This record gives sequence, structure tokens and C-alpha cells, in this order.
Amino acid sequence: MTTYILRRLLLMVPTVIGMTLLVFLLVAASPGGIGAALTVAAGGQMDSSTRAAQQAYLEDRYGLDDPVLLQYLRWLARVSPIKFGTRDQVVPGGEVVRPPKSVKPMPAWWLYIDELPRAERESFAFDPNTTAEDKTRAYRRASNDYARARFAYLRAKTEFELALGERLREAGRGSLVKDDGTLRDFSQRSVPRGSVPGADDEQVVERFAAMREAYQAAQQSLARLEAVFAARPFPQAGFGISGVVWVAAPDLGMSFSRSRPVSALIRDALPVTLMLNLLAFPIIYAVAIPTGMLAATRQGSWFDVFSGAFFVALWSVPVVWAGVLAMGYLANQVTGLGAFPVAGLHSNDAANYTFLPTRLDSGVWQRGYLLDTLWHVALPVACLVYGGFAVLSKQTRAAMLDNFNADYVRTAKAKGVSGKDIVLRHVFRNSLLPLITMFVSVFPAMLGGSVVVERIFSVPGMGSLIIEAIFLRDREVLLANALIVGLINMLALLLADILYALADPRISYN
Amino acid sequence: MTTGDNNQQVVRAVGPAEAVTGVQLMQGIGHQPAQGFWTEAWARVVRRPGALLGLCWLAIVVFFAVFAPFIASGHPILLWELGPDGSVQRVHSPMFDHLGPTDALLALGAVAWGAALLLPLPAPRSKRLGVLFVCSLQAALIVAACAGVRAAFQSADAPDWMRSMRADASFRWVCTGVVMLLVSLPVLFIPFLEALVSRLLPVACAALVAGLSVLLTWHDPIPSFTYRAREARGEIRTLHTLIPYSPGQGSTSLDLQPPRSTPMSAIIDGLAQDLARELGVGGFQDDPRWQVRTRPTDPLLGETPLTEGLAASLGVHLRTNAALLPRSPAELLAEFESRRDRGEFQSARDVLTWLESLGRAKFWLGTDSIGQDVLSQMLHACRLSISIGLVSTGIAVLIGVTMGALMGYFGGWVDMLLYRVVEVFMAIPVLFLLIVAAAVLPRNTYVMMVIIGCVSWTGAARFIRAEFYKLRGQDFVQSARAVGLPLRSILFKHMLPNGVTPVLVDASFAIAAAILAEAILSFLGLGPANQASWGRLLSDANNQVGDFVPWLALFPGAAIFFTVLAYNLIGEALRDAIDPKLKKARV
Repeated sequence: MTTYILRRLLLMVPTVIGMTLLVFLLVAASPGGIGAALTVAAGGQMDSSTRAAQQAYLEDRYGLDDPVLLQYLRWLARVSPIKFGTRDQVVPGGEVVRPPKSVKPMPAWWLYIDELPRAERESFAFDPNTTAEDKTRAYRRASNDYARARFAYLRAKTEFELALGERLREAGRGSLVKDDGTLRDFSQRSVPRGSVPGADDEQVVERFAAMREAYQAAQQSLARLEAVFAARPFPQAGFGISGVVWVAAPDLGMSFSRSRPVSALIRDALPVTLMLNLLAFPIIYAVAIPTGMLAATRQGSWFDVFSGAFFVALWSVPVVWAGVLAMGYLANQVTGLGAFPVAGLHSNDAANYTFLPTRLDSGVWQRGYLLDTLWHVALPVACLVYGGFAVLSKQTRAAMLDNFNADYVRTAKAKGVSGKDIVLRHVFRNSLLPLITMFVSVFPAMLGGSVVVERIFSVPGMGSLIIEAIFLRDREVLLANALIVGLINMLALLLADILYALADPRISYN
Repeated sequence: MTTGDNNQQVVRAVGPAEAVTGVQLMQGIGHQPAQGFWTEAWARVVRRPGALLGLCWLAIVVFFAVFAPFIASGHPILLWELGPDGSVQRVHSPMFDHLGPTDALLALGAVAWGAALLLPLPAPRSKRLGVLFVCSLQAALIVAACAGVRAAFQSADAPDWMRSMRADASFRWVCTGVVMLLVSLPVLFIPFLEALVSRLLPVACAALVAGLSVLLTWHDPIPSFTYRAREARGEIRTLHTLIPYSPGQGSTSLDLQPPRSTPMSAIIDGLAQDLARELGVGGFQDDPRWQVRTRPTDPLLGETPLTEGLAASLGVHLRTNAALLPRSPAELLAEFESRRDRGEFQSARDVLTWLESLGRAKFWLGTDSIGQDVLSQMLHACRLSISIGLVSTGIAVLIGVTMGALMGYFGGWVDMLLYRVVEVFMAIPVLFLLIVAAAVLPRNTYVMMVIIGCVSWTGAARFIRAEFYKLRGQDFVQSARAVGLPLRSILFKHMLPNGVTPVLVDASFAIAAAILAEAILSFLGLGPANQASWGRLLSDANNQVGDFVPWLALFPGAAIFFTVLAYNLIGEALRDAIDPKLKKARV
């Protein structure tokens, strides 16, 4: 059994990689690609060189200018619990500090100079008595310096690129220039020195000189930052195994659109979704199993026919329709009863509520935090629940009918066991197996369904998070969501298989 | 099973009227001719009232899917152009001018299906059905390919060579030729007619129809619905279809009109609001309660005497909405004056009632938030719903069967690798993947079909894999392999017919799920662009302000519900009809 579980867990690794890669490639293949919404938001009414500089800054900051596969691999390396290379450090607040990113080399430098300028190495060490605050301050100063120098370099680089791009276009080599006027990647071999007639223009040379200066400054402050980082201003993340291999909790990165760590976003949203689903499950089982049992014991009766038809009808009700109708007729204050809240998870002043209902000094009953939350999730849970009845009750009925025909039931009857005991102690216990597997098919559907339900009822769960992330093409949030939802799903499936083996001794996975 | 059991079974099959003994049975009395597997299953499905109702509903939906452009169109069927003296100059049919190639092809195809199935032709009906299926499939593929090419040529970022080709005058003829060739090529290989000459006739007919439909629908006339205004000016006379609105025909002054209102509602609403403002009963304009109160039937408004201010604002409203009126504003104002002089208008309500009586062409199910007719959109959306269900399930079954067959037949490493792919698709909830894919890929009906198909194939793959695991050890497979048949033949000709039944039964549920998926995506605003859809209508029901529009929630939602229910009922019936366990249990 242990071997089986281990094997399944190991096989999850390729599945998770495939799954996130699929989502990543889909987003990357979209028009505008990853971060499209981000650059659109950054555009606005700036002039073209400012916009290009701004875009270059954003692309640089989120690594959007790297090849798609490299971006994915980088994400994978951050998420993987086993990591290689220099260890990250953790700010006491929980933010992960990674080794600084290097500066992108200058474009077309070979047209002007023989080799790229290099920065001198710097050495840096903290005094043993330095307080943690001072260390933080020193790191922040170095890192801010570097960010500023880097931005200045990117700006100078963009301006140089725009100028050289214009000359390239004039020289009939427009294929090397992007639509926005900046340069594509090209090598020294395809454009050797002296092949661009306008490259020696005064303006271009001037801009190259400015870029070179900014590049050197950026290199220098990078060297400084690297030295500070190497002196370990913060405690190291995870723990090292040997040399460059170390282990740490997955780092899900920062959200583009909300500028918050993705893990914090998920920590807020996941419990909501899980709560909806965990409330829904017992209800489904509590309604569907007794109905299925009754239908099986009275096969062919009006109850059997009616419950079957009713559940199939419920199963066919689109969740969007149920949600819209519930909103309109039960929650809406004007057209409906106004009996339920229209959005959200808590009332405005829920923070001041006691947990259980209490009577206030004024003599008014206050519903309390628990009831308030239940009142808010009542409609979403109802929308998640009704579709599950049909499948589960039909399965229960079929399994019970199967067992009614079995030999041991006939033996029990012959022995004179009462009908109630046969149903409950013999047939039902043996019909449990399919009910466990039902979990397998119901759970993913419900996780997916809660995306829509949360959207309709404005519940701040994973579904709302996912839809927002998709519309903003927020790479980190999307990938992290795919990862978490997929992992939960796969663990649920594994759990079902293990329960299956525990419930039925005839099944073994060895 | 004892012989007694056997007898009983046969007696039930024959019916309780005649008792048949075992001896008689052996003599052949009570014997019934054997039916095909599917025929028998189908007969059992049709016996269930639920499934029968489902089939009826689907038939209705299919009817509207095919004929919606002929039933609900803003373009008149016939248009008489009148000269200045009122004589008829020219008669033509704008409705036919505005038919798309798909509309024409579907209508022609429906007629061809009916004719081929109902006419007394020599070939057996099952064979005709097969030929029709193949032809329809081919037509659908060509239409999809044409749509893809067309979208590529028309897109804003098409490369220069595409633009120059498009501008070329001969391009139209080249395209027609290519389509005719595409249509005629596969038909040549159909084996049901032996002689080449007798083959050529249907081929030539099909190619001619395809070519003509390309040539005639080459120029998409830009739809403009000015017929009413022109009719009001007396330039034309029109004969409209049953529902005289196209799905894309809307006017913002007619937004969110309730069912059974007419285009006059725009004027009545405006007038009622002016009145309410005059009376001081109006509150905040965005408050839906206020709008409810200013309906012409409101008792508060009714008994207001007719004032000069009202007459003036009637003139303003008539002129601003001239395009919606059945007659010209000047004519209507003249009539208003004469009626007022005759003393017919005592109160504001009389005016509103008169205006209401002027309206023709009701919005039977109201309008949506941009003033488009809901009923017309719902009828046109039938096509999307039916085709999404069938095509995406077809794609899913195709992928699933191929993957499942490979996994089940080979086992080992192939199984291990391919099953990881299945697991990837199982691990992400289908809806999650659908939403991601639909949000980032182009908003297009065909793309959506492919997305839904590519996301929901795992069920079929796992079914087929399990079946093939069982089958591959059996003798007939071993002998097929020993004879040296190619893999394709072993997998799809010998093994597949033995294992495909559960997948086909489940296809009914898969179609229902695909329709639900389309509804959800459209509801989230990720559906095909410029396409009427039940889910998109439903998403208008709860708008941003928090208003609830009952007719946008009830009718499209009910349409989705009944269609999904129909497929589910048919699926249940089919499953029960085929499940061997249940057959045994009934004995």
C-alpha cells in the first residue's frame, strides 16, 4: 500500500508539470501574450519613447521579454520544493528575496566598442554587531540604487534603440525593428560593424554613449547589491542539502495585477472555496443516499419513478440559470424577496459580531458571525448542491439493486433476518463502494462549478480569483491557481482510491 | 438459468395475450424476426415517454436551428419599390439577399434530407441515412474550413499577400473553383454508385450548388434596417416574416422592453417619464421602481388632463424616434391633432393607449439591454446550441477513442505516457480549463467547439481503454494480428465496434454537458462574438446596477434547461435500453 501511495505521489509530478505547462502555453499563445493587460494599463497617454521605456521596465521586471519556455522553467524552479543555485533569503515579514537579476547586455554594442564594459567586483561584510534593522536598511538602499540605475539604463537603452531603429529602417533593414520602434534580437554576425550607414550619426552615437554610461552604472550597483546579498542581510530560506541543492517551500511569486504575494491571495481565497464545497458535500450525501436507498427498496413505485425524474430534472438545471433566478427572486431587494444578501461573504459590520447569536444590551438579537456567514453562503451552496443529487442517488440505487440480487441476501432472508436489517446491515454496507468512487467524479465538477457560482454571487473565493486573473492575464496567479486546484483534485482522487482499498479488503494495489 | 425462465422471458416479449409453451417455442411458434442491435435499442428508447418528449423538444430546436433566418428576420421577404405615383417599380427579396452561405446550405440540406428519407427510392433507408450522414459531415467540414480561411483573410492583421489577393477581381472565381473542387473530390470515391456516369450527376449537382452559394453570397451586404422608415415615407411596401426582427437589430431607445411591447414603447416610455416629471412623482431616474411606476397603466398618470406640454413633448419624442414609427412623425402628429380636436383625448392615458395601439410587430419576449428582440435571438441561438453540442462531442469522441484505443491495445509504456496526458486533463477541472482557453483564444464558434471537444475527451478515452484491455487478449484480435492486418484495421475495424457502445451511449450526456459549457462560457462573457446565444442573453438578466430582468432570465434559461434535460432523458433511456444488467433484472 505504501509503495502504491508513493508511486502515485511521484506520478503526480509529471502530471502537475504537464497541467501547468498547458495553462501556461494557452496564456502565452493568446493575442498580446502574457501580461497583455499589464502593458495596456501602462500605456495611456504617454509619448512613444516614455511608453516604450515603461514597457521595457515592466517586461524586465516580470521577465516577460524572455522566451516563453524560459519563463515557464523559471516559474517551475521557484515552485519546486527542491531548488538549485544560490539560496533565497526571507525577510521576517515572509517576503522572499531572490539573488538580484543581472543586467541585459547592451544591444548592438559591437557597432561602437570592442567589448562589453565590466564592473569591478565589490566586497562587503556586515559588522557582527549590526542589528537586523540596519542590515535590512543596507540591503534596501543597495537594492533601490540598483533598481534606479537599472531603470535609467532601460530608458537610455530604449532611446538608443529608437534612434538606431530609425537608421536601420532608412538603410532598408526594417525587418530588424519591431513595430514599436525598438530592436529585435540580432547577432554580431548578421549586422557586423560598419554595415549600418546611419549608425555613426551624431545623435545615435550620443545616445549610445549615454546608454553605455547608464549600463556601467547599473553594472556597478548590481555588483554592490550582489555583494550585500552575499553578506546575508536576512535569514536564508529553507535548508541546504549539499552545495547548491536546497529545499524550501514553494514560492508562488507576486501577482502582477494586485502587487501582493500570490500565496497571500490564495490563503484568503482557498478557505472560502473549500468551505463552500465542504458544506455542500454532506448535504448531497445526506439527501441522495437515503433517497437512493428508498428508491431501491421500492423499485418501480411512484416514489422511485418520481425521485428519479425529479433528480434528473434538477441535474439538468444550468447552474447559471439557478444562480440568476436565485439572485433575482430571492436576493434582489426590488424584484425579489430580499431574503438573502446579494454579494459577499459577511455583513459590513460582521467584524464586531460575536461568534454565536447573542442578545444585545438594547434587547435586539444579533445573528452573530456564524449565522451571518451561513446566511451569506446559503444560496451559493444551494447552487452547488442540487446538481449532485441525481448522480449519487442513481448510483446508490443501482448498487443496492445489484446487491439485492446477490446470494447472501437470499441466505439472510432464508435465515429470517428482518427486512430492515437486510437493507441497512447487509445490502447498504456492501453498496458503499460505488459511493466512494462517486466522490471522484463529483469533486472536480464541484470545484469547477464553484468558479461560476462564486462569480454569480460575488463570493471572494478561488473562482473569483481565477476569473479576474484570466481577464488580466496575470501569469503568477493563474499558474498558482492551476497548481493548487490540480493538486487538491489529485489528492482527492488518491484519497478516494485509498478509501476504496480500505473499505473493500478484496481490493489491493500491490 | 433454467428452461422455465427462458419460457417466461419469451412470453413477456410476445405479450401476455398469447401463452406459448416451451414445446411450441421449439416448434418456432411465437418466433420474432431478429432486429439489429441499435434498432432494438432505439425501439426501447422511444417507448419511454420522457425520452419521447426529449426527442420532440430537440426536433423543435433543430427546426429553428435550420429555419430561423426564414422565420425571424429584420429583412422583408418581399419588397415592392414604389415610384412617386405609387406604381410598383421593382420587386425583390432582401431576406434572401442577406442569407449567409451557412443559412442557405442548412436549408437546402434539410430539404435534401427530407427528400432522401421520405421519397420512395430503391436504396434501403439505412443506406440512404449513411450517405446523408457522410455528405453532411463533408459539407460541415468544408463550411468550417471556408469560415476559417475567410476569418484569416478578413482579420485586421492579415499579411500583405492576403490583402492583395483579396483585392484581386479574380479571387472570387478562384474561391468558387476551389470550393467546387473540394465538394466534388470526395464524392467521387463514394462507393454506393458503381458507374462513373451515374456518379457524375450527383457530383455535378453538389458542386453546382456549392459554387452558386459561394458566388451568390460573396458580398456580405451590410445590414441596415431602414425599411420601416422608408415604408413610412411611402417609398416601399414590405411583407415581413413572422418575427420581423433580426438578432443583431437593435435600437438603444428600446432597451429592456418587457414582453409583448412594441417599438412604440420607446415613445410611450419617454412620454410617461415626462409626465411623471411634470407631476412630480418621478424620483431618481435609475431607480427601477420609478420606471415601473411610469408605465402607461399607472393609475397616477392616467387621469392627468392633456396639457400643451405633453403635446409638445409628444412631438419631440416622435421626431427623435422616427425610424421606429409605422408612419412619418408629421402624419402621426396630424392625426393626433385631429383626434384631439374631435375630443377623443380627454386624459394622458387616452394618448398613451392610442400610441400603444399604433405599434405593430411585437417583441413577444421583450428586448435585451441593447434593444434587440429576445425571441429572434433565441431562435437564432438554436443553431449555436445544437451545433456546439454535436460537433464538440464528435471531436471529444474522436480524440478519446483514438487515445483510448492506443492505450488499451499497447499497454506498457505507451499506456503509461498517454495516461499522464489523460491525468493532466482530469486533474484540472474541465470548467477551469475551458474558461482559460476561451478567454485567451479568439472568440469564434468554431474555436469554441474545438476547445470544448479538446477538453472533454477523457471520459471516452478511459472507457475505450478499459474495453480494449479486455478485448486485446481475445481470439479474434489474436487472429487478426496473426493474419498480418495493419494496426489501423485491427484497432478500428475489428476491436472498436465491440467496445464503442458505452461511449456512444454516454455521448448523449456529453452533448448535454457541452451545451451547459457553452452556456456558462457565454454567461461569463467568453462566448463567440457577434452571435446570439442563450447564455449571453441570460448574462444580461442581472446587470451591473443590480437590476433583475425577469424575461431575460426565464426564457433563455428555460431553453437551455429543456435542451439539456432532453439530452439527459434520451441518454438515460438509451443507457437503460442497452445495459445488459437491467435486461436481466427485469426477467
